[in-house]
Amino acid sequence: MTGANEPGSHGVGAPIPATGAPSPAPGVELDHVSRWYGNVVAVNDISFALGPGVTGLLGPNGAGKTTILHMAAGLLASSSGTVRVGGAPAWRNPSIYRRLGLVPEREAVPAALTGRQYIEFNARLHRLPDPRAAAVRALAMVDLAGAADRAIGTYSKGMQQRVKIAGALVHDPPILLLDEPFNGMDPRQRLHMIDLLRLMAAEGRVILFSSHILEEVERLADSILVIFAGRLAASGDFREIRRLMIDRPRTVSIRSADDRRLASALLPDPSVSGVDLQPSGLIIRVSDGDRFARLLPQAARAAGVSLHEVLPTDDSLERVFAYLVSR
Amino acid sequence: MNVISIFMAIAGTTFRALLGRRRSLLMGILALVPVLIALLYRLAGEGRVDDRAVLDLLIVRTVLPLTALVFGTTALGAELDDGTGVALLTKPIPRWQIILAKIAVAGAVSAIFAAASAIVTEVLLGAADPAGTAAAYTLGVIVGALAYATGFVALSVVTSRALIAGLAYTLLWEGWLAGILPGTRILSLREATLGIIDAVLPRTIARDGLDLTGSIVLVGMVLIGGFLIAATRLARYQVRGGD
Repeated sequence: MTGANEPGSHGVGAPIPATGAPSPAPGVELDHVSRWYGNVVAVNDISFALGPGVTGLLGPNGAGKTTILHMAAGLLASSSGTVRVGGAPAWRNPSIYRRLGLVPEREAVPAALTGRQYIEFNARLHRLPDPRAAAVRALAMVDLAGAADRAIGTYSKGMQQRVKIAGALVHDPPILLLDEPFNGMDPRQRLHMIDLLRLMAAEGRVILFSSHILEEVERLADSILVIFAGRLAASGDFREIRRLMIDRPRTVSIRSADDRRLASALLPDPSVSGVDLQPSGLIIRVSDGDRFARLLPQAARAAGVSLHEVLPTDDSLERVFAYLVSR
Repeated sequence: MNVISIFMAIAGTTFRALLGRRRSLLMGILALVPVLIALLYRLAGEGRVDDRAVLDLLIVRTVLPLTALVFGTTALGAELDDGTGVALLTKPIPRWQIILAKIAVAGAVSAIFAAASAIVTEVLLGAADPAGTAAAYTLGVIVGALAYATGFVALSVVTSRALIAGLAYTLLWEGWLAGILPGTRILSLREATLGIIDAVLPRTIARDGLDLTGSIVLVGMVLIGGFLIAATRLARYQVRGGD
């Protein structure tokens, strides 16, 4: 990606009239933002400010990720708090779209147009000086040059996803919001997209993408925002949050030939913080997962107890989120 | 210059979308109904006909409101419903420019269908002054189509059930209620269309309803009011909560 519209050099770094030293306006800034629908709170008092780089918005389905992205894209009013994009209010302010591209999750491409027609249409609405060239560039960027003259209705789901991304990129925006961008992509397309977003972030863009898949966020994001039930559960460096997730206490349910004997063999070890003897089996609270994984087979062999079943009871992502929220 | 190029870009894709295969086929069939009736009448060879009664019923009361309803509520409403409208909303253009282009295209397409149907029907009916009558109805239908389309585009921004609401307006308010409560005719675009046609081509027996002044006032109110409502509502348009 080359061109005079290089955003990293001027776009995001535009100073805001703040007190004290001039600091760059954050690309996307939410300040105590809530959004409710009637009695239902979709987003609850969330604050964050994003600068250049890739940020992952991680959370289970229904956590409020789309609501946050829609508010950041000016398509939804916040019920309270302020949302700013490139230093300007996002709501009722179409001028933000000069600096913002949005890739919505919903299938939102007109099936009757060809990829080229659709992207040129987007370029014209952005008043780009050369819509044709901009469309060619954007289509090449998402690897759709070969299919540019086919109707979008004939595209695969992954191609439709990419044509939406091309539409959001056509004006070379310094801020890019993507809602579940990898949905429907095959692994090769996924890798291509990860490379593309990385490259764009390296050029100084602010990129925020949502996902409910931990692995996607891990591969792409420099920092993450964990959303659970409308609240910001954790934010910051990915490795730090991953450590929180791994180091958390967890429970393991075990069925064995002699639960009582096994329990007394495990209990003295520091990796075990509690044991619950139940008719259905043992529930063990583990504080150090790695150590416990080595301990269990040794202890069982030493005690002469055979293991029938060992199940981690709470490894779902929802539980991880719930744990982070409760901290 | 910018406004014009934006207008052309939106109008172009809207035009293409509105004339999708199925919709234009259905509206084409609707517009053909008066033509076929006129043709049958002519083939039966039954002497002179009251051509204006035929045009009033088939064009002004039927083809015009129905084509305007379908094109007016889909020009923008379909995009807002299926999510493709997000591409339009996330552009650095004032929302009133979007409304302007949508109304213009919906009105123009409706007018083309209804006016073509009126002209061919009138010619086939073989009445006394086909050129004068066709001209008067064409003018009336163009004004009517623009007013109806403005109202229906505005309705489609206000509610996602614009088609049903618009149908209720044309069938219940303009069709049924205007018959039993003549006072409701002052808010009837059908009456306004007829008022304009009658001003161009007076009837031998005067019609009960809006005169030219009343028609112009109502059409003006709908054009300005509809545009303002649609533009302000679209400026505050919120996508439905996903997630």
